[in-house]
Amino acid sequence: MTSSLSTEAPPTSGPALEVAGLTVTFPGTGRRAVGEVVALQDVDLRVRVGEFVAVVGPSGCGKSTLLRVLAGLTPTGGSVSGRAVVGAATAWMPQRDGLLPWRRALPNALVGARIAGLDRAVADARARALFDEFGLAGFERAWPHELSGGMRQRLALLRTCLPGRPVLLLDEPFGALDAITRRRMNAWLAGLDLAGHGRAVVLVTHDVDEALLLADRVVVLSDRPGRVVLDLPVPRDATDGARRTLLTALDPRGGA
Amino acid sequence: MRRWRRVLAPAAAGLVLLVGWEVGVHLADLPAFVLPPPSQVARTAVEVAPLIVDDVLTTLTEAGLGLLVGAVVGLLLAVLIAAFPWVSDTVYPLVTLTQTVPTVVLAPLLILWAGFGLLPKVLLVALTAFFPVLVAAVTAMAAVDAEHAEMVAGLGGTRRHQFWLVQLPASVPGALGGLRVAATYAIGAAVVAEYLAGQSGLGVFVQRSRKGYEVDQILVAVVLVAVLTGLLFLLVDGLARLATPWQRSSHPSRPGRTPA
Repeated sequence: MTSSLSTEAPPTSGPALEVAGLTVTFPGTGRRAVGEVVALQDVDLRVRVGEFVAVVGPSGCGKSTLLRVLAGLTPTGGSVSGRAVVGAATAWMPQRDGLLPWRRALPNALVGARIAGLDRAVADARARALFDEFGLAGFERAWPHELSGGMRQRLALLRTCLPGRPVLLLDEPFGALDAITRRRMNAWLAGLDLAGHGRAVVLVTHDVDEALLLADRVVVLSDRPGRVVLDLPVPRDATDGARRTLLTALDPRGGA
Repeated sequence: MRRWRRVLAPAAAGLVLLVGWEVGVHLADLPAFVLPPPSQVARTAVEVAPLIVDDVLTTLTEAGLGLLVGAVVGLLLAVLIAAFPWVSDTVYPLVTLTQTVPTVVLAPLLILWAGFGLLPKVLLVALTAFFPVLVAAVTAMAAVDAEHAEMVAGLGGTRRHQFWLVQLPASVPGALGGLRVAATYAIGAAVVAEYLAGQSGLGVFVQRSRKGYEVDQILVAVVLVAVLTGLLFLLVDGLARLATPWQRSSHPSRPGRTPA
């Protein structure tokens, strides 16, 4: 495992997060280790403060890997090269909720705050306020297995938001939910202003409509090896044109 | 109906066995120093009950203390093994190797070194108990969900955070599972240690009865060991349930187990 990511001091203004020429390769499987897999190739990504960026792409294009690298999680066995200017501390939310089964809902929400070294009383008060906002009020003492899928994802998101890290990295937060719950969650998430208050959000999804609904900008990754094929600002209204452009970029031969 | 059958069927089978034993002893005219009938064992039980209370308390104390020491040592060692790879590499194989020696074989040594009192018995029970706890806890910590450790890292957590937030709590159900196994050995280990030396305890009671060919008293002790082991298991099981409340309602209903 080699890592040559050079992390520089966070700039006082400018991008919340920036990577340039990011390439991630995994050694080939099998005894002879032939056919190493290039997951990401020469990816540039710049996220400004206050921006909500969605990364879309076909499954297996390396979008989750991109998010992991941004979160500082070195992919096991992979080698990472490129230049990273991770301007600010990140908080990453995994695809599956990652809730700890031995902690009730409130202590689960406080995991991130505890890692960040937040004062307990402050974190507790903030968590209780967020439980209201996230529609989890009254479930503070529930065990994770007692919560519905949608509630678990919201709790995981709450845990990610609570430490107040400037960059949120969300990996298909509602990907595992059924279509109806997912639609409801996205509508709720769109009204949440996650990217406000000097924060920035990077959301990975394979759902174009989700990306259009939530993001200010959509970045399209190609099939493996993943590289940026389109970087499209989303107009606040009239997303139909943007939708068509995105679908064409995702499937050049399909002709959507 | 099905639940009644689960209780009644084994009870009836046990009763048949007891009656067979009683009738068989009378028909074969076996002397009491070979095999007394169950009715006589029951009478003896009532007779010796006031005398045996102290022995039972001694054995329970040894088993309880030994189990506690074994669990604490086992869990601490498991934590060290999980936290430091070099401890895992050096100590764990050795500890596993020591298990090729049945702890009962060590009982004479322990008595030579630690005297005739409570200590060697507690040590023997602890030696017997710590291994299942250790193995179960180490296994649980090694099998930690990568998802959970990654979640902690993704929030900026260090290895230390991962250990305190994920690995250590994840080891608790495993360690308690090991303790449940250890609880079934504890009374037996204490009794064996008492066979060799001691002033009080069920093992001492058995040895004394053996010298007087009082087989009925030995059988009373055997039943007591079984009952005490069962009770100790239920106690540890109950404590384990209390300590892992998140597992309580995770298996809401098993199909086919609902009372009809």
